[in-house]
Amino acid sequence: MSKEKGRLTGEHFMLGDHACAEGAILAGCRFFAGYPITPATEIAERMSVRLPQVDGKYVQMEDELASMNAILGASWAGVKSMTATSGPGFSLMMENLGLGIMLETPCVLVNVQRGGPSTGLPTLVGQQDMMQAKWGSHGDYEIIALSPGSPQELFDLTIRAFNLSEKYRTPVLVMTDAEVGHMTEKVVIPPPEEIEILNRPQIYKGDVEPDHFRIYRESPDGDPGYVSPMVKAGEGYRIHVTGLTHDERGYPAMNAEANEWNVSRLMEKITANLDDIIELETDKLRNAEVVVVSYGISARTSLWPIEQARKEGIKVGYLRLITVWPFPEDTISKLATKVGAFVVPEINMGQITREVERCAAGNAQVFGVHKPGGDILDPGDVLDTIRKAAAVTQKN
Amino acid sequence: MSAEAMERSERLRIMNYDTPAESDWETGLHPMDDLLRGERLPHIWCQGCGLGTALTSFISSLKWLEKNQGWDLDKVAVVSGIGCTGRIAGYLRLDSFHTTHGRAIPFATGLKIANPELKVIVISGDGDIAGIGGNHLIHAARRNLGITVICVNNFNYGMTGGQVGPTTPHEARAVTAQYGNYEFPFNLPYLAAASGASFVARWTVLHARQLDWTLRKALIHSGFSFVEIIAPCSTAYARWNPEGKGLDPENLRRRGLEVMKHYQKVGKTEQGIHPKDAHVKVNSSGEVIEIVEGEFLDETRPDFKEAIDQRATTAEKFWLSEKNALDKRKKLPPKKGKVPRTEIQLGGFGGQGIMSAAKIIGMAASIYNNLEACFTQSYGPEARGGAAGSQVVISSTPIHHPHLTQPTSMIMMSQGAYEKYVADLSPGGVLLIDDELVDLPAEHREDIKTFGIPATKIAQDAGNNRAANTAMLGFWTAVEGIVDKEAMQESIAESVPPKTVSINLDVFESGYKRGLDLVKK
Repeated sequence: MSKEKGRLTGEHFMLGDHACAEGAILAGCRFFAGYPITPATEIAERMSVRLPQVDGKYVQMEDELASMNAILGASWAGVKSMTATSGPGFSLMMENLGLGIMLETPCVLVNVQRGGPSTGLPTLVGQQDMMQAKWGSHGDYEIIALSPGSPQELFDLTIRAFNLSEKYRTPVLVMTDAEVGHMTEKVVIPPPEEIEILNRPQIYKGDVEPDHFRIYRESPDGDPGYVSPMVKAGEGYRIHVTGLTHDERGYPAMNAEANEWNVSRLMEKITANLDDIIELETDKLRNAEVVVVSYGISARTSLWPIEQARKEGIKVGYLRLITVWPFPEDTISKLATKVGAFVVPEINMGQITREVERCAAGNAQVFGVHKPGGDILDPGDVLDTIRKAAAVTQKN
Repeated sequence: MSAEAMERSERLRIMNYDTPAESDWETGLHPMDDLLRGERLPHIWCQGCGLGTALTSFISSLKWLEKNQGWDLDKVAVVSGIGCTGRIAGYLRLDSFHTTHGRAIPFATGLKIANPELKVIVISGDGDIAGIGGNHLIHAARRNLGITVICVNNFNYGMTGGQVGPTTPHEARAVTAQYGNYEFPFNLPYLAAASGASFVARWTVLHARQLDWTLRKALIHSGFSFVEIIAPCSTAYARWNPEGKGLDPENLRRRGLEVMKHYQKVGKTEQGIHPKDAHVKVNSSGEVIEIVEGEFLDETRPDFKEAIDQRATTAEKFWLSEKNALDKRKKLPPKKGKVPRTEIQLGGFGGQGIMSAAKIIGMAASIYNNLEACFTQSYGPEARGGAAGSQVVISSTPIHHPHLTQPTSMIMMSQGAYEKYVADLSPGGVLLIDDELVDLPAEHREDIKTFGIPATKIAQDAGNNRAANTAMLGFWTAVEGIVDKEAMQESIAESVPPKTVSINLDVFESGYKRGLDLVKK
C-alpha cells in the first residue's frame, strides 16, 4: 500500500486537537488507544476517522490504564503509538507511563490540561499538571514534556514528540491545554519531504546473533546517554522485558547495584542529551531587567503585556519553554545572575515558578502570575506583575 | 585481566550474567530446554506449586503446534502481569513481556492489533486477571480479541503471602480472611463467556493431558479464548485450608502434590455444559468438594481484527470525500489593506449553527483572505440554555490573546444570547440581530449601531430554515466588510453539507443584499 495513502497537506482552519492527530499521523503514528475525556476527546475522534484511512488502527479502550498499556504493546510490535487524555485520565496513566519508561518504550502521551484537582473543570483551561508530568509516576526517572501555544504548534510539537520518543526510546509528553486543544486556527501541513521524521534505533531478524543481543545494551564506547537499539516482537530474538529492575538482557535483577545501573541509564539518556532535547524561544534577553518565563498558552497571552511593558520603557526579556521537561536549569541559573527578576505566568498556583526559584537560587527575584484553572490569564495581571518586578529591580 | 575488564566482569556479575558472548540458556536438564530460559532457573516458585505443571502443559502445546501446525514460535509473544504466575513470561524462551499488575491484557491488545501476525498469549494469575485486571478481561472478551488468556487460579494472592482474592471460595480461609471468607468468588468461565469470549475452558492442573489438548485448541482458536487452570498454592492457601490439613508443612512438595491430587479427584468433567453451571463447590468449611471442568464454549465468530478490517472501505470513502473537497478549494487574493484586531461575538441557541457560523468566518478570513483568525467556543454550563456562544478574533497581525477583550461586532440570534452578551459590545460597535427572534427592550443601548433582518424567515422562504445562520453571515459580510464576500462564499461552500451548498449561498446572498441596502441608508 502506498505510503502516501490518506496523506493530508496544505492549509487548514483546524481545531487544535485535530491538528495534534494530524501531526501524529504525519510522524508515522499508526496506533491510537484512548478513552473519551473532555477536552482531549477530539483527538481520539479525529484519530478514529483518520487512522483507518492510513492503514492504522484505532482502539477505544475500557479506561486510561488500558489505553496507556495498549500503546506500549503496539510500540513493542514495532508501530508508533499515541494516546491522549486530560487530568483524571492522566492520573490513571501514571502507573503505566512508569512501565513505558522502565521498558524504554517509544510512545507519545498527550495531556490536554483542564482545571483540577479531581474532576475539576472539564471544559476549561488549566496548566496544573506540569509537576505531575515531571513526578507523577513512582520512582526516579527523567521525562520529556513539550508545551505548545497554538494549534499549529500542537501539530509541530506532536511530530517532535514522536521524534524525541523514537530517538531516546522513551515516552514523551505533549502538555497542551483546553484552550489550545479547543481553539481553531490556521494549520499548515507541509509536504512530507519537508518534515524530518526519526525512527527508533532498531535491530531486525538476522542482524545480530540472538544470543549476543542485549535489549538494554550499554554503549560499546562508554558514551553516557547511549540509546540501546530496540527489537520488536516477532523478530526471533526471544526478548524479555520487565517492569522489575533489570539487567542488560532485560532479566530481573533484584539488588541495589542493579537498580542504580537501571535508573542511571533511564536518567542519563535524557540528561546527557539536554542540548538536543531542550528547545527554547527567546526574545530580547540581552540587557533585560525582567525576564518573563512561561510556556504554552500562558506564554502566548503574555506577549501583549510584554509589548505594553516595553512601550512603558521596561526592558523585558522573554523566555518560552517549548520543552518544559527537562527543565533548562543552566539557562535560568545563568540568567539569574544577569537580570533583576523573573516573572512566571502560568495557569496554576506556581508549579514552574518554584522551578524557576530553585534555579535562580536567590540571585534574582521571582514573581509568579498565578490562578488555578478556569480561564487564561488576564493580560492586565501579567502587565502589573512585570511593572512590580521592574520596580523592585530598579530599586536594587 | 585489566582493571577495566575486571570492573566490567564485576558489573556483569552484579547484572546477573557473566558470559555475554556465549549461549548460556541450554542446561540440558529439561526435555523442553529450547523453550525455557535455562539461565534464569531455578525459578522462584515454591515446591509443590502447580505453576510448573501449568507451564509444562503450555510449552508442550506450543511444541505440538510447532510440529503439527507449522507454528513459527518466533511469532509467539507471551504477556504476563504481576504475581507468581506473572513470572512465567520470564522463564519462557519466547518474546515475553512482564507488565504491571493487571495490565497484561491491554498490553497484549496493543501487540496483537498492531501486529496481527503475532500469536499473543496472556498467562497470569487469578488476582491479576480477575481482580485488579478484571475490567480488561471482560472488555477484551467483549471485543473477541484474537488472543488466548490462560488464568492460573490458586484461589488466593500467593506472592504477597496468601491474601483473600476474587476467586477465594466462600468460607475458605486466607491471611486476610482468617474468620472465613465472607465474599463470594467469581466463576471465571461464566464471567468470560458472559463477556463475549468465544472459547472457554477449565481444567485442574493434574488433568495434564486434557489441558494440553484444550490449550492447543485455545491457541488455534481465532477469537478470544480463555482457559482457567486450577492449581494449588502449596505454601499459602494450603496452610489455611482443609485441603492442606494434616499434611507436613515442612514438606511443601508433598503438600502441594496432595492438594493437586485432591483437586483432580474432585474434578468432574462436563464438556459443553453452560458455563453458568461450571461450579467450584465448597462445603461449609470452605473445602473444595467439586470442580466442574471441561471445554464449555467453542464458537466461531469474527474476531476483533476482522471487525476492524471490515471498515476499511468505508474509511477510504470518507477520505476521498474529504480530499475531493480540499482539492476543489480555490485560491483567492489576500484581503486588501490592514485589518486591526477585530473581535466578533456570535450568540444564539443550540441548533442554530452558531459554532459553524463562527468557524465559517474564521476560515474565510484565515484560509481565503490570508488573515490571522482564531475561533473559540464556549463550553459547559454557560453554553446551555438560551445562550450558546462562539467567538472569532481576526487581525492582520498575530493574535496573542485568543479571547475577546472588547468585541466590536456581534451577531445575536436569540433573546437569551442578546441579553447575555449585549453589554460587552464596545461603544460604537455593531450589533446584528435576527429581528424576529430578538425583541429589543426599551432601554436598548443607544451607543451602538443595531441592524436587524428576519434571517430565520429568509432561510425558511428559501426552503431550509437551518440556513438562518448563513443569512446572518451575508448580512454581517455586507455591513462589516472585514472579510471579502468571495472568501465567505468559498468558506460556506466548503463547510455546509454538499447538498445544501446552493441554498446556503442563495440565503447568504439575500442577507448580503439586505445588509448593503441598510448600509446605504
